[in-house]
Amino acid sequence: MTDELPILDESGLAELRASVGDDDDFMRDLINTFLAEEPANLELVAAAAARGDAEAIVRPAHTLKSSAAAIGAARLSAICRQIEFAGREGRTTELAALTEDAQEAWAATVTALRAAGLTT
Amino acid sequence: MGSDGHSVARGRPDDMSGVALIVDDSTVNRMLLVRHLASLGIDAREAVDGKTALDLLRAQSSDVAVVLLDVMMPEMDGYEVLATIKSDEVLRHLPVIMISGIDELDSVAKCIELGAADFLSKPFNPVILGARVRASLADKRLRDLEAESAAAQARLLDTIERQKDELSRFLSPQVAALVSSPEGEQLLAGHRREATAVFCDLRGFTSFSDSAEPEEVLGLLREYHKGMGELIVEHGGTLEHFAGDGMMVFFNDPVLQPDHVVRAVRMAVAMRDRFATLAARWAKLGFELGFGVGIATGYATLGRIGFEGRYDYGMVGAAVIVASRLSSKAEANQILLNPRAHAAVEELIEVEDVGALELKGFARPIPTVNVRGLVASPESVPA
Repeated sequence: MTDELPILDESGLAELRASVGDDDDFMRDLINTFLAEEPANLELVAAAAARGDAEAIVRPAHTLKSSAAAIGAARLSAICRQIEFAGREGRTTELAALTEDAQEAWAATVTALRAAGLTT
Repeated sequence: MGSDGHSVARGRPDDMSGVALIVDDSTVNRMLLVRHLASLGIDAREAVDGKTALDLLRAQSSDVAVVLLDVMMPEMDGYEVLATIKSDEVLRHLPVIMISGIDELDSVAKCIELGAADFLSKPFNPVILGARVRASLADKRLRDLEAESAAAQARLLDTIERQKDELSRFLSPQVAALVSSPEGEQLLAGHRREATAVFCDLRGFTSFSDSAEPEEVLGLLREYHKGMGELIVEHGGTLEHFAGDGMMVFFNDPVLQPDHVVRAVRMAVAMRDRFATLAARWAKLGFELGFGVGIATGYATLGRIGFEGRYDYGMVGAAVIVASRLSSKAEANQILLNPRAHAAVEELIEVEDVGALELKGFARPIPTVNVRGLVASPESVPA
């Protein structure tokens, strides 16, 4: 399932970098923005999961899924997608475990981005 | 760069007028779109949710030319924004391109049914993005041009209507209509047909205007023109000109009137009656005036007469001269007809023979009759 997916989609990231003309400053800018903005959504996801609020979890999970996909954070994006759909379908019991997965994937993503030299 | 609501790119090509509005709650997505658009030479604005986007559009609708819209957002989602744009009189023509993830293709189909111009899937491919945005901008430009041209045409039509209105105050209504009709040029260029010319003027007007105060002269002329003018219009006559107390009216042109002689004679009789009412009042003021008419029917040339700067729509031919001469010969209250006019209305009028009149410029005397009145008839005056 999702743990088979790479933390970072190397080929996706390479395409992204090429699409902005190999502008590394822009890439770093983009990743730093991701790291600065998205924890808020992750917190909203965690809070909604703690309350068992399937409805409230959908929107932040969706945004995080979308942003993660944009920067090649494949596994995080896939987990967020599962959370979004579980939320939509009212599968409240699955939210807590999925959210834990998302938090782990977030930490792994940050580590991988650092390792790739895309952030400090 | 980022969510400051403004920014980006200089040096946009001339054919890319207007900026793009990016509506997406993911900051990294907005950053990427701004970046891609900038490389295409397109300026962008950003909105983090639907409500902000609509506020921006309403405040700056003139410079946003295309909207890139995410489906799922807080506050107000993409559907609602799209529906609002498409139901807004001012914004409805703005092209909206939906931004969609792979999970949202169903929603996108719905958006296109709602009026979205196109969609863009994530991750963004700059080439596809460029093609779709350019196509939408070109569409928008075309629509703007169409709207501009429609507005210009409406203004032009308005001007033409106004000119027609204004023209009809100076020309007889038939000629005013002719000038703006499709066959107008052909008729204006000149044509021959049978027509009836009517000349009328006041007896004793010269000595009256010599002795009366100018205000009295103008006041009387105004009353006279108003009274006679109404009758010309009522009978469908074309007023060629008036000069002081004299008027020339013709019938059967530019509008064909099979009963043109009848119309001319009925108008003359009605004018004589109207004059009697006016004259009775003028007599009390001490003005002694009479009214005489000459009518002649014959073939004539009709069309534009004059010179660059001043043209009239006129009638030229022997009938015109005969009518003018008969009008000069007419005594007060006489309506004189040439033989051709007389023959056409014989059964409708009571006449008295005034003999063959010698008219200046004509070798032979012209047998002439004076119209005493119309034969009593249930028929009303033709409209």
